[in-house]
Amino acid sequence: MDQILQALANGLLLGGFYAVMVLGFSVIWGVMGIINLAHGEYLMIGAYLGWGLFRYFGMDPFAALLLILPLMFLFGYVLQYVLINRIVERPHLMSLLITFGISIALANLFKILFTSDPRNVSVTYNGSVELLGITFPIVKSIIFGAALLCMLGLHLFLQRSRMGKSIRAAAQNRTAARIVGVDINRTYAVTAGICIAITAAAGAMLSPTQAIFPFMGPPLTLKAYTITALGGLGRIPGALMGGVVLGVTETMVSRFVPGIGTNLGVAISFVILVLILILRPQGLLGGLRPVDPEAE
Amino acid sequence: MMARVRDRLAQLGQGWGGLGLWWLLLAALALYPYTGVTHLTLFLGSQVFVLVTLASNWNLIGGMTGYVDFGHAVFFGIGAYVMGILVTKSPLLVSPEWGFLQALPVSGAAAAIFALLIGLPTLRLKGPYFSIAMLGTFVAMREIVRVLRPLTGGGVGLNLPPVLNRLGDYYLMLVLMGLVVSIMWWIRRSEFGQSLIAIREDEIGAEMRGINTTLHKILAFMIAAFFTGVVGGFWAWQNTFIDPDVVFIETRTVEMVMMSMLGGLGTVWGPPLGAVVIYVLQTVVWGRLFGIHLLALGILMVLLVLFLPEGILGTSGRGGGTSIVRLWGRIRQRSDP
Repeated sequence: MDQILQALANGLLLGGFYAVMVLGFSVIWGVMGIINLAHGEYLMIGAYLGWGLFRYFGMDPFAALLLILPLMFLFGYVLQYVLINRIVERPHLMSLLITFGISIALANLFKILFTSDPRNVSVTYNGSVELLGITFPIVKSIIFGAALLCMLGLHLFLQRSRMGKSIRAAAQNRTAARIVGVDINRTYAVTAGICIAITAAAGAMLSPTQAIFPFMGPPLTLKAYTITALGGLGRIPGALMGGVVLGVTETMVSRFVPGIGTNLGVAISFVILVLILILRPQGLLGGLRPVDPEAE
Repeated sequence: MMARVRDRLAQLGQGWGGLGLWWLLLAALALYPYTGVTHLTLFLGSQVFVLVTLASNWNLIGGMTGYVDFGHAVFFGIGAYVMGILVTKSPLLVSPEWGFLQALPVSGAAAAIFALLIGLPTLRLKGPYFSIAMLGTFVAMREIVRVLRPLTGGGVGLNLPPVLNRLGDYYLMLVLMGLVVSIMWWIRRSEFGQSLIAIREDEIGAEMRGINTTLHKILAFMIAAFFTGVVGGFWAWQNTFIDPDVVFIETRTVEMVMMSMLGGLGTVWGPPLGAVVIYVLQTVVWGRLFGIHLLALGILMVLLVLFLPEGILGTSGRGGGTSIVRLWGRIRQRSDP
């Protein structure tokens, strides 16, 4: 019983991280209809920023978020303006290929810059607290809290602010939004900026919990895709739900199925993904738009 | 004048002339070892043939059918592992040399069967969803191979019996490449190929016209997987060592995609041309700068999408010349005020 509860708690904490990791992917897909294959690489950049600031400036990875967020917002804004906006209205294939190209280029750029040695960030508060017989690692609990904060912030931004309304308008109908005077290019750039900033922040938060290396991206992209398919496009509660479902499934399987390491998490998410795509292509909850393009 | 040259080129590619030229080239390549070349040259030659074959195969599903496969290297990996397992573990095979030729079609068949199994669910997905599902298949398969330690050797890998036969490798790959490209040429002319292109352009429309789209997609996928598996088996034999990280490597898929794109998606002669161009670029231009290969490929991919999405030989479906001709026209227009 205790073991089950412990695994459940671990899965929940992992799910919180997954939720914040997937937000950017989910919103970019929901708003622009682009499947961002470079998503894992933005996480990787965030993780390396967290590591670099920790290693050379002694900054705490969570404090470093204040620096990483604006920096990566700028990165995302420029990237969207210079590259992605040019192909956003072309066939899907083009956006897939261009983000695939970006992902390869970024991963290998980082390999050249930092070699493929795994890097670690070891913070001082690396312990855990025990509550009701269940151990909670401190770092992962902080990540969970920060994830909830990020989600709340993004939700408020999308619902309340003027820019958020433009973003939602552009997601619902690009042409109509353009007619009523939404600057689509700028809206998309801001969307990408915010999404990439949050993604990089998730990467930086990840840095104290696991090793960082240039090729950590693709499995994370795949997980992001699975969670988005589970939770629906651009839906923040959906992201949380999908993240928790995947997190709990992964920890349960790696805990109770003998002979399987956590490495198989990718395989598990793949199985879930294929099942979802075949059985419920609109996601478990529905979202900004259906996962299946035929319904558009 | 330009237009006439272009028309002739297009006809040459589609007609018997194209195939004739191809066979002439093959004959020349078959005579090439008699000019007294080193083992290294033969080895490099077979490497180029591998790339051409892989690019042509990818083009069948990614270019002609329009289902962009970001995990095609999974079939390469399966072929390589079936070869590795058969020649090292199977008690049925006595002598390794004989085992290789026996195991080669088996590794292709295994990949084709896997394509059937994985294609039935994934080919129902449209466009980008298929691409990601295949990327997932690829990443998941690498982990599965790593876990199945008794059969695959896990992360330690498998050592195949080393048999050095560069001349044999060269001819084997030459025949395989000639066969695959000729098949692509035939498919492009046949009703089967026309149906594939119809599926690419408008799948629902194709279905309405009475094309059994599922059957066509699965068949194309299986053919592409079969030859990719055979190449994988060959590669494992030639390399004499396989582990999950050298076999299931993203680079291989990236190269297939890039070569097809550069040459022209959906054309017969584009992928071979793209393969040779990228190989030359790789060895001559960025090969000397260690580790920059994939960075350059990634940047090249972004640039291609932005500026030359149809590749060197690609014609857009709705008239108009090859991209090169149009790019030339645009440059002339710009310079003419």
